[in-house]
Amino acid sequence: MAEATLRTLPLDKARVLHWLQRYGVYAGVAALLVVNTVITPYFLTVENFRTQAVQVAPVIIVALGMALVIGTEGVDLSVGAVMALAASVTALYLGYGLLPALLAVALFAAGVGLAGGALVAFVGVQPIVATLALMVGGRGLALVLLPQLKDLRNPALASLGSGDLLGFPYLILIAAALALLLGFVMRRTTFGRQLLAIGDSRPAAQLAGLPVRRVLITVYVVSALLAAVAGVLATARLQASDPTSLGNLMELSAITAVVVGGTPLTGGRVNIAGTVAGAVLIQLLTATLIKHDLPPSWTQIAQAIVIVAAVYAARGRGKR
Amino acid sequence: MQRTTHRRLSARPVVVSLAAAVALTATSCAKSEDDAATDTSSSASADAEQKVAEPKPGSKTCTIDTFGGKKVDLKNATVGFSQSEKEANPFRIAETQSIKDEAEKRGVKLLTANAQSQFSKQISDVQDLLAKGADLLVIAPLNSDGWEPVFKAAAAKKVPIVTIDRKINATPCKDYVSFIASDFVEQGRRAADQMIEATGGKGEVAILLGSAGNNVTTERTKGFKDQIAKEAPGLKVVFEQTGDFAREKGQQVTEQLIQSKPGIKGIYAENDEMGLGAVAALKGAGKKPGDVEIITVDGTRNAVQGIVDGWISGVVESNPRFGPLAFQTLDGFTKGEEVTQDIVIEDGAYDPDNAKNDIGKAY
Repeated sequence: MAEATLRTLPLDKARVLHWLQRYGVYAGVAALLVVNTVITPYFLTVENFRTQAVQVAPVIIVALGMALVIGTEGVDLSVGAVMALAASVTALYLGYGLLPALLAVALFAAGVGLAGGALVAFVGVQPIVATLALMVGGRGLALVLLPQLKDLRNPALASLGSGDLLGFPYLILIAAALALLLGFVMRRTTFGRQLLAIGDSRPAAQLAGLPVRRVLITVYVVSALLAAVAGVLATARLQASDPTSLGNLMELSAITAVVVGGTPLTGGRVNIAGTVAGAVLIQLLTATLIKHDLPPSWTQIAQAIVIVAAVYAARGRGKR
Repeated sequence: MQRTTHRRLSARPVVVSLAAAVALTATSCAKSEDDAATDTSSSASADAEQKVAEPKPGSKTCTIDTFGGKKVDLKNATVGFSQSEKEANPFRIAETQSIKDEAEKRGVKLLTANAQSQFSKQISDVQDLLAKGADLLVIAPLNSDGWEPVFKAAAAKKVPIVTIDRKINATPCKDYVSFIASDFVEQGRRAADQMIEATGGKGEVAILLGSAGNNVTTERTKGFKDQIAKEAPGLKVVFEQTGDFAREKGQQVTEQLIQSKPGIKGIYAENDEMGLGAVAALKGAGKKPGDVEIITVDGTRNAVQGIVDGWISGVVESNPRFGPLAFQTLDGFTKGEEVTQDIVIEDGAYDPDNAKNDIGKAY
């Protein structure tokens, strides 16, 4: 009898942990929705959901790129800097119109991604170090190009930030489209498979004849481009380019979303839906604490608890 | 062997020139929205002189005899100015410009340095200024503590120091001569007065706090709350969240605020940027100018323009133009006159009555 309980207990624990790792983030989102419906006034309004979705959209977009990079067993610390760079380049080229400005932004972002990818793929620099350098350098370049906040009045940019289609703000539509696209890429394309294989074991992927370098560079370029999209959208929403503070600590928010969403930092697995849910979870948590006017330090503590819980669940799975 | 050394030597110039090329090509063909519109701010702002708020009776003073230096004529002296943060925000830009303008006006030789928000750099900056022969120092400190190495070096050369905008924790009239700054608690009180006037002293208001752990934040908050409690008990602060002194954060927090508390009557933003973020949030939520009264502190051009446009109800100025007062203090001190140890400068204020006329004074 005693033996039986001893034997089943660890198994149950493992099962719980496995369940938590898989569905914990969705359970968290659901729990926060239920709690807020009960305790937060005006929570169940269209306006509120719109606000939360619009605020979380840039985080989701950045986190998607981060998820791909983490899937290759890397990490991209330069995303916040790329957002700032996107903001200043937008302001710099907006005189030509929105589209040329966006092209310039894409060019700059691709350049940063290419540099990061090349450092990782060809030079063999650790991703955390390579992108750390780009994080410092990228924000520096952003500030060289535009040393201080600048108001933007381009109507096309403004409508990108605050306009909507059938009641859905463009920001949300863009984030949703990108999530679906990347979900498809990861599940259904050769590129997605190759990415995961590289994340699982780079030497094995190399021996199997996969285009390791090409895939790695592509991943970092995609991550930078997504960060640039987020930077442009945040700038459009603010109707001002603010390279000094835009994207500050965004890399940490994105990594949090990815990890909480159940993508292991060890690579080889990418959970796109979980990443989106992870970003939503953090957003709802922050919103709950702000709406109830709790001290900002609580938000940080709450985030820390969520991260530790998520990593704990992941650890349990790894051991199994 | 020789080839590798050669390559190594040439690598650095290549990287540098590559970086320079990127920056150059990026800016050379750039075209921002209003390249044609010329900036008129610097010339218009020159007449906005800085005044001392009336000195409190019995406030401590300092003379060159007690400090222990020798008299110099300011005209022939070299003044060193150490700025703490990058001139990337209007306050720092106006502050540095004001010091430079005043030095030029008085014909004083000025050496400047910028610590780029790194405290160790500021310490070595000041030591550099001393080594370059600065006879007098004006410092905008990044931190309040850790200045002993500088004091030691300055004391060895008997160089008087005036600190501006942030205080150094040290003995006045021994380590430094005077400290010139705004009274942040008073700014909070005056913001509260403007809020009471704008809202009629009744209703619920919110505070967008500055960065946590910053004395500007705590003092502007304290002044505001004390004055509200004293003058308008009908006004309730129901929401206090940090916007980190940044526009985007101010926008996000305000969006949450007007969602959960639609009846909010006023928002007190502890700097202009967060106030402008609040304006963006109100616009996004389809509110009209005047639906929510916004009071901010700083007095930047954008915020004062916000009053003209009707979105902001009042701005309490935090005067960045320390130049005239700093040089006046140094001038008096080096002549042997008594100077006050704690000098509080007078801040202006903008409201719908004077915003249009006084926008030239905003920085």
